[in-house]
Amino acid sequence: MTAARSAGRSRDIRLAYLLLTPTLLLLLTTLAYPIGWEVWTSLTDLSPLNDRPTAFVGAENYRRLVADPLFWRAAIITVAYATLTCAVKLAVGLGFALLLARPFRGRTLVFLAVFLPWAYPASVSVIGWYWTLSPPIPTAYSVFMGNLKYTVDGLLGSGAWAFTSVTLFNIWRGSSFVGVFLLAGINAIPPELFECALLESKSAWRRFRFVTVPLLKPFLALAVFLSLTTAFADLANVWMLTAGRIVYPVIGTHAYWLAIHGGQFGPASALSLTLVPLLLGVLFLLFRMFDPPEARRT
Amino acid sequence: MSRRPWWRGLGHRALLVIATVYCVFPIYFMLVQSLKTPEEDVFGNPFIVVSPTLENFQELFGREGEVRGFVGSALRRSYPFLDWLVNTLVVFAGSVMATLVASVAAGYALGRLRPPGFQWWRRAIFATYIVPQTILFIPLYQVVSVLELDDNMLALLLIYPTMALPFCVWMLSGYFQQLPREIEDAALIEGASRAGAFFRIVLPMSRPVLVAAGIFTLGIVASDFMIASVFLLTPHNQTITAGLGTFDVALDELAAVAGVNLLAIPVVTISAVFARGFVRGLTASMVEGA
Repeated sequence: MTAARSAGRSRDIRLAYLLLTPTLLLLLTTLAYPIGWEVWTSLTDLSPLNDRPTAFVGAENYRRLVADPLFWRAAIITVAYATLTCAVKLAVGLGFALLLARPFRGRTLVFLAVFLPWAYPASVSVIGWYWTLSPPIPTAYSVFMGNLKYTVDGLLGSGAWAFTSVTLFNIWRGSSFVGVFLLAGINAIPPELFECALLESKSAWRRFRFVTVPLLKPFLALAVFLSLTTAFADLANVWMLTAGRIVYPVIGTHAYWLAIHGGQFGPASALSLTLVPLLLGVLFLLFRMFDPPEARRT
Repeated sequence: MSRRPWWRGLGHRALLVIATVYCVFPIYFMLVQSLKTPEEDVFGNPFIVVSPTLENFQELFGREGEVRGFVGSALRRSYPFLDWLVNTLVVFAGSVMATLVASVAAGYALGRLRPPGFQWWRRAIFATYIVPQTILFIPLYQVVSVLELDDNMLALLLIYPTMALPFCVWMLSGYFQQLPREIEDAALIEGASRAGAFFRIVLPMSRPVLVAAGIFTLGIVASDFMIASVFLLTPHNQTITAGLGTFDVALDELAAVAGVNLLAIPVVTISAVFARGFVRGLTASMVEGA
């Protein structure tokens, strides 16, 4: 009996690996290999402009980055952008979720409205969004937008308005996803818990702080992580769309610029990898919240 | 429970209105622009359309090989919009299917068959999200050229699934993990094969989660602009996204906005139809603490 069971178990394990193959193959070709290439290249002076063979330069590219004040400026802007968009998306999204948690007349309509910014394909809404905020000259609203642009650029430096528009776009789209995601989280919480809380405390704030937030913690953490990843994707999309017209220094776009226009693959790879340890740290912190070790059942 | 005072009810309603306007207004604005004539675009009120017209939409389809327009006709190119539409459908549908198949297989393997260290597999796959794919272009380009998929929609079918897979695998493996084992065991005792039990019982039961994974993937695939415009260069091979990116918006603003809406309408319709299922599926996949 035990022999049969263990034979079944090892068959299960073989099947499991077989079923994992497509996913792993996809990740290997489109993620693992490119990352490996970037890591290796970041340690060399690879460039299509070089005549001599590519040399291994060790941590030279990284050393030069650390010494570059422009890098630190870009890093600060990137981290600030990610933190700010994330915090606002979380706040607005949580607001949406709480608003939609209780039944009321017309809830379906409001729910669909909240779902819309995320469902509306960002690949094209970003086109509409960008050209609305920086419109071509002859439209009826271009004067207003133009004034806004010059005011913001005047205050924060050239390119600030374009960067602000990406930030707004990411918040608009991301808060919709976070809202729907947290609504799913609230639905997963047994209603008895909220009823108990209602008996325990009259203060809505205390119920929110000591019941809703702790119960939602895993969902909040997952939402933070997913919205971080889209923050970078949106930035890259807009940058690409406007052919680099966002002149604000941000790590991802700056790396792309170095690689494609400067032909400096080595430094560009080093630059684009600088964010990874940071994100890895964030992920580890969040893992503790949404995948706690003690909750594991076998 | 006591009745809520009238001002709280009013406050609630006001918040609902604000939320709805905030979410819908940018989309409404784009829709209005796409229905305008060039004259109205310049002189009219930007928030409303007085005499709506479909000419911007017609222009997208009517452009094939025909040179028209009054602002420097040489500058106005023709766009194979029908080709773009077909390519987009193929890429979107293909990516969603590929992602679902791969993530259901991986999710079942990790959630139910549980090879040694499955929790770490699960975490490692999810952790691949920390690398934004958009910074990996040059090596991705090498992969695509080695496979000879350059300027081919298949390149997108290779890259897109990876953008949604980590979360879909996470979701599905979590779901399969908490699905009671007895459901499957009962079928196995009745003499069904493992595959039979899976396809006839487990898969139909998992519909909400599959819907959630599918809509999530559609959202991710539909939001990429960068990959599409880097890997698809010839007009006939482009998707709507890549194609619209080449519009000179100063001249073709209205047609571009019309194109935006043309892609958005089917995607939004599909998402709206499955919106409730999306929430249900997300809930179902995470009932047990993520």
